[in-house]
Amino acid sequence: MNAVFRKLQVSVTQQACVLNQALALCRATPSSQHPVWASVSERQYKSMPTHGIGRWRHLLPKEAPKKKKDKHQMKEIMAETDTTYGTLNVKVSGYDMTVVEHYSQYIHNLCNRLGIKVAESYALPTKSTEVMLMQEQGTKMYVDAVLKTHERVVQLSRLDTAVCPVFMDVLLKNQPEGVELSVKEHTEADFQARFKGRPELEGLIAQMSH
Amino acid sequence: MAAPCRRMAARSLFHFLSFSRTAGGNSGFRQFSSTSVHRATLQTKSVTEKASSPWTLMAAVCLQRLPVISADCGPIERKFRDMMLQLELEKSLLSDHELRLLEDAERMSRKQADDYDSDEEDERGDQEIVLAQDLEDSWEQKLKSFQPALRVTADADKDLTSLERCLADSLLLVAEQQVGGEKLWLLPQTQWQEGETLRQTAERALASLPAAGFKATFLGNAPCGVYKYKLPKAARTESSVGTKVFFFKAILSDSGPPAAPNAPFLWVKKNELQRYLKPAYVMKVDRFILDL
Repeated sequence: MNAVFRKLQVSVTQQACVLNQALALCRATPSSQHPVWASVSERQYKSMPTHGIGRWRHLLPKEAPKKKKDKHQMKEIMAETDTTYGTLNVKVSGYDMTVVEHYSQYIHNLCNRLGIKVAESYALPTKSTEVMLMQEQGTKMYVDAVLKTHERVVQLSRLDTAVCPVFMDVLLKNQPEGVELSVKEHTEADFQARFKGRPELEGLIAQMSH
Repeated sequence: MAAPCRRMAARSLFHFLSFSRTAGGNSGFRQFSSTSVHRATLQTKSVTEKASSPWTLMAAVCLQRLPVISADCGPIERKFRDMMLQLELEKSLLSDHELRLLEDAERMSRKQADDYDSDEEDERGDQEIVLAQDLEDSWEQKLKSFQPALRVTADADKDLTSLERCLADSLLLVAEQQVGGEKLWLLPQTQWQEGETLRQTAERALASLPAAGFKATFLGNAPCGVYKYKLPKAARTESSVGTKVFFFKAILSDSGPPAAPNAPFLWVKKNELQRYLKPAYVMKVDRFILDL
């Protein structure tokens, strides 16, 4: 019996030793961690430890209150002078949208590099063209394909006469296949064409004027 | 040519040699017409301006034919393009046509099954008649019957006078003209005359080429380069020290009727220029010709 008890005691003491060691390990680890943030639910960015703490809104620039009704004003059309051209529209159009967009981005970057000021860079609505073929037997036409023409416009505010041949040459030499390039002067009609017509408003105005 | 030209020429020289794009520097070109107007009004100042410039002014046209087809890709470009196509294919979703193909295949397999009940099928009358696979087959047939034109014709490449050579590169027109007693190969040029703008002189240079109906679009009113040539000491006189040639860029829009076989002009690429033009001339011309 003594032998049994001794074995039990040994095992109990062994277990107690193991437990003590485990407790010691647990106690060691919390000290290396940050005590406060371990319990916070928001994730904090490693590079901005004080982000959002304290008074900071007074440091931001004052924003003007945004008006609800903001009618689109046209940017002033520059007139041409002796040494520069006025507002020009460089229109890129084609069937393949990725190529057209990449080319218009290329033109925009080229203008930035050459110091030509870009007033605006916008897209015109896509036009769908249905290609209809005559049926071999019969007179009915059936739809063969739908082609979509994409247009992108880069509006330049001023173009120097000296830069113009260089700019045009680079554009023409880098023009991808299947893309059309046209450079025209910007007019008010071009600007107004971007807006959708409002038939009810026009009807009401016509009624009022009568 | 009075000093207004000399002043203009000097200013434009400065402007174009530095290849600047400043808005402040006036493009010498437009002022040509305005100073001739001012000469009438500013009579008192004209006394000093009457001293003639010793330089002869000429305008030349740099006529280019743009590449007709895209250049072939290099080995790295080809590998990259294949890799990008593969990536895009793997990342892409199925298109309408491909979805239809799958549906049709599924419907066929269901029809072949023994317990097929056509009443359970959704109403799609016309799609059963024309399968997407049939459409694809008819498109394949149409593609096979299409013959694209040859990209490279080896014979035309060697013929320097033909416009069809080297469709992937841009070509430059070089003409053989009589310059001060000898025939030289250079870009077509003529002398500037009083009262016309330099660009008009360049247009005249193009139009006066013998037996050529080239129609061109000039890219701008300002010259893109200049070449100064001083006559050898023996030929120099009080009134002519040399010539200044201003180059204007133009793009060929229409070649007109085919030229006679021994017409004195060639269409050359940029790297073939030094075979025909003088070295000093080539140095100045190289600066503004883009070989993209």
